[in-house]
Amino acid sequence: MKYAFLPLGALFGFLLSRAGATTYDYYAKLFLFEDLQLVWVIGTAVVVGIPGLALLKRARARALLTGEPIELRGKPMTRELPLGAVMLGVGWGLCAACPGTVLTMVGEGKLSALATVIGIALGTYGYGVWHDAKRVRSSQAP
Amino acid sequence: MSDLVVWSGPVGGAVIGLYLVAQYWLTGTPLGCSTGYGNFCAMLSRARYFRTGDYATWNNWRLWFALGLPLGGAVAMLTSGIAPELTLSMGALYDTVLPSSPIGRTAYLVAGGALIGFGARMAGGCQSGHSINGMSLLNLPSLVASVGFFIGGIVAVQALFRWMR
Repeated sequence: MKYAFLPLGALFGFLLSRAGATTYDYYAKLFLFEDLQLVWVIGTAVVVGIPGLALLKRARARALLTGEPIELRGKPMTRELPLGAVMLGVGWGLCAACPGTVLTMVGEGKLSALATVIGIALGTYGYGVWHDAKRVRSSQAP
Repeated sequence: MSDLVVWSGPVGGAVIGLYLVAQYWLTGTPLGCSTGYGNFCAMLSRARYFRTGDYATWNNWRLWFALGLPLGGAVAMLTSGIAPELTLSMGALYDTVLPSSPIGRTAYLVAGGALIGFGARMAGGCQSGHSINGMSLLNLPSLVASVGFFIGGIVAVQALFRWMR
């Protein structure tokens, strides 16, 4: 099943590109409030997604490729979520990229995106190490 | 820099919304991009964080999804009717405010990327996982995360273009 995600990733990357999410200028214009292209993209995706996912839920649909029930469960709230979200947002504005679009940009030949990809991998790595250390500290607490 | 074909925002968004539903229906998995970076970390790291949960096996669907994204970018570029090119440019706007030396710009982007990677793991997802997937599930924490993304983005870009231009 996992290999099906190679064409799926390619399709999603293609759609991100066509939506303008791999065009650097749209990020600057978004946060300078000059062109809300990307707000339209996210907003319309959600407007289509809400009824689509509600239908899957109501129909108790099973995944076509695996036959397993589809779990439609939101991510939990955590204490670190708000700060992490703002950090990600700052990086989003600085680099004009989010984790999915930046990989797509690499495929478009935008070489500077490679530096951002390396940074994201390092940040993810750093979080894993920090998470381990935090766990050890809390288990040693009296 | 020549231009990619870009659909209008509502059209692009609607098709991405359909993609979200189709991926769930086909595979039962949520849309998300940031977790996949940890799969690459899991190949190299011995940290316990990269051995459990989402990363119990690093060679899973998220890895293949991450590898598919650049393929899609290449197809999008090749079907835009423009000459393929490798470029260091980040577009007219960013090029006027970012460091222009290759070393300076690389350092800047690696640092910014690190904020993205660390922040995404703290937040439990990125714009795909929270803003598109999570908000479509009417999940409140995802709304909180999305507001946080936009606050961070606005602060960063307003500061960048006010002080560096």
